[in-house]
Amino acid sequence: MTGTRIRLRPPRHRVDPRARRWWALQALLTVSGPLLLTAAALLVLSALFFPGALPWLGPLVAAVLVAPALFYQLAMPAWRFRVHAWEVGASAVYTASGWFFQRRRIAPLSRVQTVDTGIGPLQRRYGLATVTVTTASTAGAVKIAGLAEEDARAMAERVAEAVRAVREDAA
Amino acid sequence: MNAPRHAGGWRRLDPRTPLAHCAWLGAPLGSLALTALATGGRLGTRAWITLAVIGAVFAAITGAGALSWRLTRYRVTADAVEVRSGLLTRRVRAVPLHRIRNVDLTASPVQRLLGLVVLRAGTGGHSGELKLEALGRAGAERLRGELLARAGSVDATEPVLSTADPRRLRYAPLTFWVFGGVLAAGGAVWRVLDGIGVQPWRIGVVRRAFDAFGRSALWLTVPAGLLAVTALGVVGAVALYAENWWGYRLEWTDDATLRVRHGLFTTRSVSIERSRLRGVVLREPLLLRSGGGAAVRAVASGLGDREENRKRSTLLPPAPRSEAVRVCAGVLGEPVGTDGLLPHPRVARRRRFVRLLTWAVAPVAVALGVLGALLAPVLLWCAAAWLLLAVPLARLLAGAAYRALGHAVRGRWLLVRSGALSGETVVLDRASVLAWTFTDTPFSRRAGVVTATPAVAGGEDAYPIRDMAADSAVAFADAATPGWLREFTEPVPSGG
Repeated sequence: MTGTRIRLRPPRHRVDPRARRWWALQALLTVSGPLLLTAAALLVLSALFFPGALPWLGPLVAAVLVAPALFYQLAMPAWRFRVHAWEVGASAVYTASGWFFQRRRIAPLSRVQTVDTGIGPLQRRYGLATVTVTTASTAGAVKIAGLAEEDARAMAERVAEAVRAVREDAA
Repeated sequence: MNAPRHAGGWRRLDPRTPLAHCAWLGAPLGSLALTALATGGRLGTRAWITLAVIGAVFAAITGAGALSWRLTRYRVTADAVEVRSGLLTRRVRAVPLHRIRNVDLTASPVQRLLGLVVLRAGTGGHSGELKLEALGRAGAERLRGELLARAGSVDATEPVLSTADPRRLRYAPLTFWVFGGVLAAGGAVWRVLDGIGVQPWRIGVVRRAFDAFGRSALWLTVPAGLLAVTALGVVGAVALYAENWWGYRLEWTDDATLRVRHGLFTTRSVSIERSRLRGVVLREPLLLRSGGGAAVRAVASGLGDREENRKRSTLLPPAPRSEAVRVCAGVLGEPVGTDGLLPHPRVARRRRFVRLLTWAVAPVAVALGVLGALLAPVLLWCAAAWLLLAVPLARLLAGAAYRALGHAVRGRWLLVRSGALSGETVVLDRASVLAWTFTDTPFSRRAGVVTATPAVAGGEDAYPIRDMAADSAVAFADAATPGWLREFTEPVPSGG
């Protein structure tokens, strides 16, 4: 593949800044919280019943449980916010997601099957929504999480409109 | 062909259907008979309870089977197949004919004995399958004709792509089943013996043989045992291959339907509409490749969930590579060269090596080292020996995995090759690509590679092209599926 060398540019629209708080809360509830609780429980139990184990258990717990939990809790939301973005183009829809593992996915509007908007219980608190644009392939669903609800509605509408336009062009 | 109409013509399943349910009685009754044999005909209370439970369950299942047979009706209307069933909640399931993607006929040995077949009509959705269990063979063939008649029938130029060939049996030992099959069979025998209270190592013959011969000459027993297992595995694999691929035939039944049928005791028949066919996979697992063999699988939608798709999508069992290539060409409609694909950047090789070191070599070495330092110094020597052995092996494997990587666009096809051990070359119809996904991590970004994944509906759904050069991946994707990626790209700044 010689010729002009091209690469993907980031999608034009960022997700809502409130998404950072949603991700932080989600991280606390599902990953960091349980890890930190486990660490605390281990240390307390060890201090009460096996004080001799503390010198080696302390650093081990700090390295294996506390440090990853804190890193995830503090770094992930901001990192994710820098990555997550979306764009509905003339012929395709394009999203970027992830943080450490980053994923950019592009699906042509002519192959879009459905546009779903979902709002989870945590998302509702922050007025956020997730839009999923599905194709016939399970590996082809374009999903963008953390949009403001009105943005989500607008995006869903734009995709639906663009799909109609593309279909009419094809017909 | 025009579809026959049945105005309100509800049809019944074959009346012999409930009989086939009796088959499952075989296993428990067999094991009971074995127990009786082993204990010299004296059945204990436990055996009688078992017998009573079997009897009760049998009555219940037969009753349920008969009832469901009575309540199930189906019909083919002008535009749909409808199945009516259910006792308390009457369900009518209607599947539009135009959504049916393939129709399979299968029969278990018992059903075959009774002249029955199960008809499955797949619609591509993961739950959208219609199953009629069971019909008479002739009626089922007719019904399949009716259901598949929508596509029109023009004779293909070369309808029969491949048929059974006993010489291919020589590839059977080159499959996983040589050892996996023996282990599985051994486990099953062990469980049966254990179930009827026989402990194999207590059987006199085994004991005496081991005492007299095995213990004194382990250097002979172990290789002999391995040899026996291998021989048994080869026999088993050949038998399995023969049963599975007896009467194998791959053909275009008409211009739009590919059909593969095979099987000695259980006849399997899978029909795939051309419009559901996204491409093929040429499979050359290490062992098979070393024997010059290959197998072919279809990438098609509407064959059920992932697991079923894997089972049903095989177009050609292990056979000579030239035959596999010929079948690929016949299925795709044109020969597509699978050699000389574009290589991946050298850094992909290093990444594979590092990955093997990190996840396979290092953990064992560290574990041995730590244990050695704490407990026995001899383990340190083991760690050193492990490193001496494993590092070159990892290097070799990484090299093989790297050389397996490749991708290309050839005519209307997109080719992806990967896997040192599995050796799969995927040929996908470019028009069937529904999305592109580009994944990377901070590590891969620093190495300048990205994994580009075309998504299709069917097969594994995603066929990743791992570790492509980051600055050419998007251009490659754009060349494969022109038109819809370009608007999101920018030129790579020179020197970057």
